[in-house]
Amino acid sequence: MNPASFSHPSEIIRQFDDQGYVADLELATILFLLFKLEKPLLLEGNPGVGKTEVAQILAKMLDTELIRLQCYEGLDVNAAVYEWNYQKQLLSIKIQEQSELSIEQKENHIFGEDFLLQRPLLKAITSTEKAPVLLIDEIDRADEEFEAFLLELLSAFQISIPELGTIQAKVKPLVILTSNRTRELSDALKRRCLYHWVSYPDMEKEKRILRKHIPHLQEGLADQMVRLVQLLRDMKLNKQPGIAETIDWAKGLMALGYQQLNAESIEASLGAVVKSQTDIEHIRQQGLDNLIQRSQA
Amino acid sequence: MTPTPHYTHHDNISDAMLAFVQLARGAGLQVGIEEMLSGKRAALEGMILQPDLFYYSLKAIFCTNEEEVQIFNSLYYMFWQDNNGRAKEERKFEPKARQKKKNTGSLMMLGRGEQLEGEEESHNTSGANAMERLQETDFSRVEGIDATFLEEIAEKLLRQMSQRLRRKMKSNKRKGAVDVRKTIRHNINKGGEPIVLLHKSKQPRKQRLILLLDVSGSMDKYSFFLLRFVCILQANFEFVEAFLFSTKLVRITETINSPHLKENLSRLRKQADNWSSGTKIGACLGEFNELYAKRLLNGSSTVIILSDGLETGEPEHLAKEVKQIRLRTRQLIWLNPLKGNPNYKPIQRGMEAALPELDVFQSAHNLRSLLDLEKYLGAV
Repeated sequence: MNPASFSHPSEIIRQFDDQGYVADLELATILFLLFKLEKPLLLEGNPGVGKTEVAQILAKMLDTELIRLQCYEGLDVNAAVYEWNYQKQLLSIKIQEQSELSIEQKENHIFGEDFLLQRPLLKAITSTEKAPVLLIDEIDRADEEFEAFLLELLSAFQISIPELGTIQAKVKPLVILTSNRTRELSDALKRRCLYHWVSYPDMEKEKRILRKHIPHLQEGLADQMVRLVQLLRDMKLNKQPGIAETIDWAKGLMALGYQQLNAESIEASLGAVVKSQTDIEHIRQQGLDNLIQRSQA
Repeated sequence: MTPTPHYTHHDNISDAMLAFVQLARGAGLQVGIEEMLSGKRAALEGMILQPDLFYYSLKAIFCTNEEEVQIFNSLYYMFWQDNNGRAKEERKFEPKARQKKKNTGSLMMLGRGEQLEGEEESHNTSGANAMERLQETDFSRVEGIDATFLEEIAEKLLRQMSQRLRRKMKSNKRKGAVDVRKTIRHNINKGGEPIVLLHKSKQPRKQRLILLLDVSGSMDKYSFFLLRFVCILQANFEFVEAFLFSTKLVRITETINSPHLKENLSRLRKQADNWSSGTKIGACLGEFNELYAKRLLNGSSTVIILSDGLETGEPEHLAKEVKQIRLRTRQLIWLNPLKGNPNYKPIQRGMEAALPELDVFQSAHNLRSLLDLEKYLGAV
């Protein structure tokens, strides 16, 4: 599908639903704006609430390429934008040693596009056919310098390479940035983006998500689980369970053959939803039966 | 009456959007022409016809974090929603009246009465005075609204400082001399041409930070502010260890590493209130030396002691223990909030005894003095 062909956010909700993602009207509206305004979208939220998946589903829905850049501390231009293929350049120099070409021609040759290794960002702006989805994942892990470097790309959709000049995007990629908010991003970056905070879903939505992912999950079990997970989130654990954990947990319970939640089944599968020793101890202290009761109240 | 946004108070969407951007600026949101144009485009894409879509769109365009959403919400409902015409007259304004609207806007948006005016102002530039004033205010004298506000600006300024420290550390990351042997070896597969130069490493080491905080008597207020300060800076250190002391020494490193710092600190604070007031600095430092010093201290560690130096034990004992710590560490910083008083002289028995061993002797009674610590906390 073509991004321009959407005429109303509700169409996006439907399409996402087909792909197995429960999107609410707010998210759909913002994606609609992403298409229309051609501005990058910054998704912030706790881990495991489905930020990365938005980009994946989007690419699937539009039937276009997903280009992903995973950020990490120390990520630099060579890993994110481009690098020269040194080996090939050297070989080429050796081959051309005997040729009649002038030095200038040789130089132009080895700094040609054949020798350029494209990394995700460059790849995203040099696509010529369909606008790709560019996912810049966990931008909060990258250094501030890299964030500053992104500004040019995000506002003008262009990248400057010293040897080649400025490369302008032929088709503007749909850019999605995600952040877990482990640090505050710069105002300059944020101002260039549409902003959306992805929160934990409410009970109804989480049940729908579960049903989407595991169609044959029993209604009763789903209800019990979601209630308990929502209670766990209120308990201020060190590592709060996200939607991903709920889904894993449901799969785990099903694989173990449990039909409902009780102290035994929770004990057996707790590691799928609570992932820190202190949290597990904390929960055991409260008493599993007690927790189940509280959650169903 | 349809619940559509009543931009009809203005001749067109552009005017309405412009007025809204001005209102938002007045209330402290960082928005400008860019946001106005985006908002207008979103409206023209058909969003204006449906209130909730329009609301979501403007929210995504105008807000840059969760906190701003609250401000935005009140602004949005005030400006775009029609309360059955009751407030219509009031809101209706011509371009000439915009300035006035903007001012009343930021107050109306608050809807919380006048005493919060100062807080709001600080969000725009005219609030600089309030910020200056609070930075200079002694922690123990900050109360009520000021306290929450001070915590907010402290958090903001300290985060900026944390970023600065990190940046400094990076530029320090200078490479050592070219390692000829490694370079040749590495470049064999490139025909022996030294394309990639390898350097001898010269990585900066992160500091260890060890905090010893006095929580006796009136010191706890200062101690907890310093703790907050350190927690924000944590990423810049190899590790941070923290201890509280009054008559006994308590290790609280676990607490400051937890994600629910605020709740934990208030719990600690309540505990600390129950502790007796007399301070045995010498004995507590002795305990630290005996149990922890060997493990925690090395040539890249900084020890910060926060105390008023009012020792109830023997001053000689204190001097001996301080000297012990000094020998094992890179720098020893003593923060004494009393020093903020211009008439203060370090003549208490304890303070006098410890003074010759200290690298840095500073006050830490207000935000400004905490920020001054920056120069001691960079990488080694």
